[in-house]
Amino acid sequence: MHMADALLAPAVAATMYAASTVTVGASVKQLRKDEATAKLPTMAVTSALVFAGQMINYTIPGTGSSGHLCGGMMLSALLGPQAGFLSMVVILTIQCLFFADGGLLALGANCWNMAFYGCFVGYYLLWKPIMRSKLFSKMGTKAAGRSKIILASVLGCIITLQLGAFSVVLETSLSGITELPFGTFVGIMQPIHLAIGLIEGLITSAVLVFVYEARPELLMDVNTGDAAVQSKYSLKTTLMILAVVVAVVGGGLSLVASSNPDGLEWSMFGNAEAGYSENMGLDEEDYGISSGAAEVAGSIQEKTAFLPDYAFANSDSAAGTTVSGLVGSAMVAGAALLICMGGGFFRKKKIAANS
Amino acid sequence: MIQFQNVSFSYDSAQSVVENLSFTIGKGETVGLIGANGAGKSTIMKLLLGLIQGQGEITVDGLPLNKQNIPAIRQKIGFVLQDSDNQMFMPTVYEDMIFGPRNYGLSKEETERRVDDVLNRLGLSELKHRYNHKISGGEKRMAAIATILAMEPEMILMDEPSTALDPVNRRTVINTIRQLPQTKLIASHDLDMILDTCQRVILLSHGNIVADGDAEAILRDKALLEANRMELPFCLQGYPH
Amino acid sequence: MDKLSQAQSELREMDALAASDSPVHRLHPLCKLLVTVCYIVTVVSFPKYDFTGLVVMVLYPILLFQAADIPVSTCFYKLRVVLPLVCAVGLVNPFLDPTPWMQLGNLTVTGGVVSMVTLMMKGIFSLMASFLLIATTPMDSLCAALRKLHVPSILTTLLLLTYRYIGVMLEQVSVMTEAYKLRAPGQKGIHISAWGSFLGQLLLRSMDRAQELYDSMLLRGFQGEFFYADVPPCKASGIVYTLVCVLAFAVARLVPVTSLLGNLFVG
Repeated sequence: MHMADALLAPAVAATMYAASTVTVGASVKQLRKDEATAKLPTMAVTSALVFAGQMINYTIPGTGSSGHLCGGMMLSALLGPQAGFLSMVVILTIQCLFFADGGLLALGANCWNMAFYGCFVGYYLLWKPIMRSKLFSKMGTKAAGRSKIILASVLGCIITLQLGAFSVVLETSLSGITELPFGTFVGIMQPIHLAIGLIEGLITSAVLVFVYEARPELLMDVNTGDAAVQSKYSLKTTLMILAVVVAVVGGGLSLVASSNPDGLEWSMFGNAEAGYSENMGLDEEDYGISSGAAEVAGSIQEKTAFLPDYAFANSDSAAGTTVSGLVGSAMVAGAALLICMGGGFFRKKKIAANS
Repeated sequence: MIQFQNVSFSYDSAQSVVENLSFTIGKGETVGLIGANGAGKSTIMKLLLGLIQGQGEITVDGLPLNKQNIPAIRQKIGFVLQDSDNQMFMPTVYEDMIFGPRNYGLSKEETERRVDDVLNRLGLSELKHRYNHKISGGEKRMAAIATILAMEPEMILMDEPSTALDPVNRRTVINTIRQLPQTKLIASHDLDMILDTCQRVILLSHGNIVADGDAEAILRDKALLEANRMELPFCLQGYPH
Repeated sequence: MDKLSQAQSELREMDALAASDSPVHRLHPLCKLLVTVCYIVTVVSFPKYDFTGLVVMVLYPILLFQAADIPVSTCFYKLRVVLPLVCAVGLVNPFLDPTPWMQLGNLTVTGGVVSMVTLMMKGIFSLMASFLLIATTPMDSLCAALRKLHVPSILTTLLLLTYRYIGVMLEQVSVMTEAYKLRAPGQKGIHISAWGSFLGQLLLRSMDRAQELYDSMLLRGFQGEFFYADVPPCKASGIVYTLVCVLAFAVARLVPVTSLLGNLFVG
């Protein structure tokens, strides 16, 4: 689900950067300083392990394929949502820098799509309420704990992946990158990620159940013996939250089922390319440019057309420009090739001279 | 320098890890701490550093070990961990070496002087700006010792300093230990190294001191060692016929 | 080669590249970071049919590769990560956008084809730029630059610490995977019966490692602050480099350079 830079328009990338930056800021603030520094080694070692653990292939029984671990859900279950989010941000940054997995400009979007949903939505909406609920309490403490972990991880992975996949579609469509109709795109992405989410959830729950059996104190919200805390999350609350979750998933699925874009979606997302940036609050002028500079910025923006324009003016005058443009492009490409070859030549010479 | 008086420690009340330990280590002594797995070697070190709290009295350089004195005591004692990867967490060797001194409030200049001094003494100047994740196991162990020496401790604790090193690197570490003037407490299963570096040995079994005395006398006592899940150092076993 | 050893060798390679020396390596990390971001923003901001305008942007990475003394081909295998997703999105464009863009003899080039090519070029160009950044800038210098930009120290420290332990963890995971494979010949991955225990065991050990790591910080007087080597201040060359690059990107974005160049010959 890592997005490349090419899939995002600068305005969308900047919006997502802003969203992720705010979340990072809030997380840093919420983690009290002493707590954060004491947690740093655990965060670092766990994120390094999750990074490596995501490369393990888990055989899916009955199929020839393999699944992987879901980082966000696991990290927030071990470290809490804030520390988990920061750890995920770090993992995504390293993946982006060293493995070209997701682009530098798309990092904000990737953090949002994978870390935010996985850690905050996964934790506050699923992990915490389910783990603190009295669900399965007839089964005995250990068995109930196991069942709750499996339920929370599987639901958590499915839902956070659905949200992530939907965001990928939304961001790509808003950037005006693909000709693929929004509905079709959603129709492709959501079911794929439903399957992935289920598998990732099962793998993640297997690891968490193991930890629960061996050292339950490492997991968040487990063994909160405090009766007052427990009563706060009654079965009723949990059921209500689950109902909301089911509604969200159901809504997502019905959206998937209608692969044809209906009027509503198009009016929301595809409508009037000139207007959507305002609708979605994607106007560059809002980013830290005060009103005095706004006019200048506006005129610059007009010239640079930061949001790639949908409209293509194929007028007669454009055809002439196209030919000379192609000729010029060929020349640039030729020059680039020459530079490469020249560089290679000198390098070889240098190596020869050194040896 | 160090005094343990009736020190006991247990993780749960059922079984204690160390029981009623009493010993003293004088200034400048090099003491080997030996014993089978689980005999209590690491526990003694952790108790001494205040990482875990037990019963009884521990004093370091006249200071009783308590919450107030812990910072001062930790500044006196350097601890070389068994796994150098856990000790060298900063990006470069240099940054790891300044971590301790700067945290204890030393000036930049003084820290710089110490770093260069230690690296020169150990012949590691070449390592200064290398990355910790890129140096070899032997270099990492030496660098870990250097980070501790940069704090100029009065006493050095070492947990298995010679494990997982090739013979040449092991010899380098042993020679370095022999040159260090500080009081040293070395926990190890490498009895040859203990014989090479220590004048005195404390033999532990199930949290109790079984023997405490001259290193050669204890390490030559085949019956005593074998009764405590150990064997003679290889250099004393003679060649097989 | 499996994913794990691939990742290990990629990390080693990037480390080796960043450790070498060239005029680009010597530039201030902050300048390089800013220029790289500017470059990528400029590249992706090109309109989706502006193939000819985008071509000029190839010159920056190509020139930089030469100046940094790194063969361009080193970054090509990383494209395998980027291109599939970009292609998946881009490949449908030729089918969905049949607007004719230009006529080459009998061949009609449609808007969809042009936008697909443009999209792929954007993907490749931005990859080259971020590859160059990390191939010429060690991680700790980059984090120093981030600290200058007031990125919270928790985040930069965590980044460095995680980066420090990724090698250690990859090693442990690959040793365990080997051991598993040797006892389970013919299995492609981890069997469901070991799903939990495989990584779970490692996780427990890692927690112990983290504890020991924290102990070793405390024993050296840790009070929440990390000290880093000084980063040399930004030299004039860095500022000039940044200004020239940003200016060049702006020109390339605003002026149809290739068209003007072509006009000289086509008329």
